[in-house]
Amino acid sequence: MIEFKDAAVTAPDSGVPILDPTTLTLTEDRISIIGANGSGKSTLARLINGLVIPVSGTVTVDGFDTVKHGAKVRRKVGYLFTDPTSQLIMPTAIEDVTLSLRRIIDDRKERNLAAMAALEEIGLGDKADVSVNALSGGQRQLLALAGVLAVTPSIIVADEPTTLLDLRWRAHVGALLRALPVQLIEVTHDLDSASRADRTLLVDRGAVVFDGDPREAIGMYRDLMFGRVKETEE
Amino acid sequence: MISLLGIYRPRHTPLHRASVGFKLVLLLAATICVIVVDDPVTACGIAAACLLLLLSTAPPAKPTLRGLLLIAIMAGVTVIFQVWRGEYAKAVDTAADIVAISALALAITCSTPMEEVLDAISKLARPVRRILPPETLGLMFAMTLRAIPEAARLLVEARTAARARGLERSPRAILIPAATRSVGFALQLGQALHARGIAEEAPPDRRPRPSSADEPKHAPGTSRRARRRDTLNS
Repeated sequence: MIEFKDAAVTAPDSGVPILDPTTLTLTEDRISIIGANGSGKSTLARLINGLVIPVSGTVTVDGFDTVKHGAKVRRKVGYLFTDPTSQLIMPTAIEDVTLSLRRIIDDRKERNLAAMAALEEIGLGDKADVSVNALSGGQRQLLALAGVLAVTPSIIVADEPTTLLDLRWRAHVGALLRALPVQLIEVTHDLDSASRADRTLLVDRGAVVFDGDPREAIGMYRDLMFGRVKETEE
Repeated sequence: MISLLGIYRPRHTPLHRASVGFKLVLLLAATICVIVVDDPVTACGIAAACLLLLLSTAPPAKPTLRGLLLIAIMAGVTVIFQVWRGEYAKAVDTAADIVAISALALAITCSTPMEEVLDAISKLARPVRRILPPETLGLMFAMTLRAIPEAARLLVEARTAARARGLERSPRAILIPAATRSVGFALQLGQALHARGIAEEAPPDRRPRPSSADEPKHAPGTSRRARRRDTLNS
């Protein structure tokens, strides 16, 4: 269970609010976060993994505070970035997954077997020894996902995981994410994907302005955006 | 050269089976040898042996040939320079030295997974573990290698963008965006490491031993097996 208690974020130097004090309890299996660019949805997602630290209030995952127990929280919460390039560190696919496993499996052979299993599960078994630079964008995103899944997190936060992908990979990665037996929190501009969630948070100008049914959230988001377009035109 | 990162392929050749330590000693010994030996015939013999060693690792053809071509160009330029100076024997010796060391380095890269390199660096760094965790040092090495192709890609993109704006002759239009994007990539990489919890927790065998205050107290004469059982239970 993820709990936000008056968690607020401000810009480190200027103190400009990025996210207003937010109180939420996230228990649903599939949660989507939508909103305009720069609205604060990625900040909200990053709070869950401890990548962003609240200036006031707390964020806890299964009772562990993201500030005090950062390492424990990150064992529970996997994070998938928009651009997988920055998430891949090692030269080949299998080596990148084994890097994730170094902290939990000490024996190298066991680690390689576990990494291979994670790659096969995601459909990249035949790319194990391929250089990460030789993989397509979609394959890189799958590899990033394999690296996250290898350590068996119970929650995955995906920050626009399909934004940089073509239609084929978007459908493939999207379907894979939806089929995962973990709690999935997806930040997305893909309203089709958002509509499949159990619950949707609409973030606007640093605040959660709607929290509930995905269809209502999407309707409200559309109204909000079309209203802004009219404002700009006038 | 960039394509040579990720050149490792799992095989069962003698060099694949050799330890990283042996390979590093071999590289060091060969380097000293080619520096000390001035005889062009011996230098050619060493170069041939190194090339054979590279062949024995069954490297992936395309990136290896591309790498060797670059090495051949480097050696060719050196030969032209030495011939121009009238030092024919030195020309052959220097070219053979370049080929020998490069081929041996390639052979080691082809036969050594990054995981083993990380382990070797971590082992070598143990004496300085109080200053810098060995795992972190190994990771720094891996990240440096990872950053090279990325920095090259950013430079190519910056050059293309400058050309599109008609600024291909302006170094500022190329270097400034490439440098700022490189910093951006480094920040993203740091965040990804943080999100994956890498280097946050030491692997099981490298975790600090419990202090004597944490260890369970045993009555004098308690058997070693009983102490071990108590420790495990605690």
